[in-house]
Amino acid sequence: MYFLGIDIGSLSCDAVLIDDDENVIASSVVPTGARNRESIARVSAEVLRDAGVDRGAVRATVSTGYGRDRVDDRLASVTEITCHARGIAKLVPGTRLLVDIGGQDSKAILMARDGRVVDFAMNDKCAAGTGRFLEAMARALQVDIDEMGPLAAGAEGRQTISSMCTVFAESEVVSLIADGTPVNEIVHGINRSIAARVAGMVKRIAPDHGALPAAMSGGVARNCGVVAALRGALGCEVAVPALPDTVGALGAALIARERCAAGAAAV
Amino acid sequence: MMHEFFSNLESGLSKAIDAGEASPRKIYARELARLGTRLYGGNGGVAWCGITAPFDLLNAMGVTSCFVEFVGAMLASTGVVGSFIEETDHMGYSSDACSYHRAVMGASRKGMVPEPAFLVGTTNPCSGGLAVIENLARRFGKRQYVLHIPQDQSGGNVRFLAEQLRDLSAFVAAHTGAPLDPDALRRAVSNTNEARALMAEAYEFAKAVPSPVATKDLANYGIVMALFLGTDAAVDIARAFRDEFAKRVADTKSGVPNEKVRLLWIQNRIQFKNGIDDILAREYGASVVIDELNDITWDAIDPDEPFEGIARRSISIPFNGSIANRVAHLKKLAREYRVHGAVNPCNWGCRQGTGARGLIEEGLKEIGVPVLNLEVDCIDSRKFTEGQFRTRIEAFMEMLAGRPSPWS
Repeated sequence: MYFLGIDIGSLSCDAVLIDDDENVIASSVVPTGARNRESIARVSAEVLRDAGVDRGAVRATVSTGYGRDRVDDRLASVTEITCHARGIAKLVPGTRLLVDIGGQDSKAILMARDGRVVDFAMNDKCAAGTGRFLEAMARALQVDIDEMGPLAAGAEGRQTISSMCTVFAESEVVSLIADGTPVNEIVHGINRSIAARVAGMVKRIAPDHGALPAAMSGGVARNCGVVAALRGALGCEVAVPALPDTVGALGAALIARERCAAGAAAV
Repeated sequence: MMHEFFSNLESGLSKAIDAGEASPRKIYARELARLGTRLYGGNGGVAWCGITAPFDLLNAMGVTSCFVEFVGAMLASTGVVGSFIEETDHMGYSSDACSYHRAVMGASRKGMVPEPAFLVGTTNPCSGGLAVIENLARRFGKRQYVLHIPQDQSGGNVRFLAEQLRDLSAFVAAHTGAPLDPDALRRAVSNTNEARALMAEAYEFAKAVPSPVATKDLANYGIVMALFLGTDAAVDIARAFRDEFAKRVADTKSGVPNEKVRLLWIQNRIQFKNGIDDILAREYGASVVIDELNDITWDAIDPDEPFEGIARRSISIPFNGSIANRVAHLKKLAREYRVHGAVNPCNWGCRQGTGARGLIEEGLKEIGVPVLNLEVDCIDSRKFTEGQFRTRIEAFMEMLAGRPSPWS
């Protein structure tokens, strides 16, 4: 029997299929787009196809992410906070502090040793410091977002992005380009801006976080520049799993398995 | 338009109550509708006030009085607040300012705030409310009386405020032409004390496990009841809630079926429709069993020293004084009601909502009660994003489900 986790985020729709022994059989990521039901169908079909598994062999599905209630035939919907914590506990055992930066929100999650959420903080009021913020900055820099990570290399760190507003920050970046500021310095400033915002949330829930094993999940964790900036802001090592985008979906699949094992009626 | 709205609301509620469909909440809402009808009745004699104004004194003097924040809450609950808030952009209000106050100022610019006979400002709980009073006084060309509320009851503070209240009664008499009738004040104090005792009994019942209180039952109750103090209506409302909760406790009927989670709500509720009640009750068996402002923090008023008693009450509200007092009060409520978690909406632009946030969170954590800090404008529904809100609420409930109860 298999268990499916689907994470419907604002930018990407991710699916992970696991077996009875919690082995990841397949995973897939597709853009969410405007029609998330179509994206859910597509990512589910992809992951089952890649795994060579019939839909009938999936015992239960748990959904997460902002579109979690759009998944039909789900056993349950669970928030991404709980799912990311559960997923990272599997991938990076011993993690006590998790930073998840998704498309439109960022979260700092304090965890117990068993992966339970002890406390959390999320961005408030706006999407500064999230994937959308990074997307806007990449647009201003006219670079592919997936190529942004290494662009801060060699920066001296003399540039800051002062604005907390995504739109104003985009204007700020455009002005810096016009002034001839080197791209690596601008990107470094952007990364530090994101890291400072997230570090603020971390310090709120875990003032003495320095000794806690930390990890990062979400699509932004693929950006090595942001991860480096976060390490600097937190003053500690930050582990990143191989597929950070799919941590939430993995957590959802693990929860599906646990709930079935606990006797919940499978759908 | 507003008079018609409140009249229709009142007659609809009266019909339901007379047809045997009475509930404490309907009785309470009918009295609010009656207040709205009087405020917007065009008969003059209205006083716009600050939150800690002495409404029993004003009621005893026959003045229809209300705190200005009522207008913002009312416009938000009816879903029409947006255009009124926008109106204040033209008069120098920042978009980050408190929407309770922006809404009432916008409403005044659009002719939706009845002209008062006079105004009574209070320096507590916030300077934003006092600024509204001052703006309205200037706009309508009416006189205002500002009550300077001391931060605590030390030294001569009670006497200082009591003297102001005596002076206020002379100020009011000068406007109404009718001096304060000592017998009327004595009756008002008696009503206030009776309502106070009934409210205290209802709160005692609310502490039961499971609690007879559903999230909606006591929303805005304590703060709005202040408006009715001194009247027979206050006693009727308070008795209705007391009797209902007594019955539910006797029948072991909880406010939310199969109560699992008990919550403390900090400061004010979100005033527009937001679905939180349903999420909490239906999906998590959770209920807000206590609000920060649903507590009796003052002693019964001595009828022989009414001004001193009213002064003590005004000073006693949890928002007054140091944050340490407020945190101690919240801890007391959390313990007494055995709550599993607390929700702090942190109303945008509000001193009480945001300034004390970290200290409140820290204080409640010390006794094992986690706090969900939301970033919500409790009035302006245009700033509300349901998905973000829902995720925070649900994640908090999931987190609570994985924690041992602080009271086990």
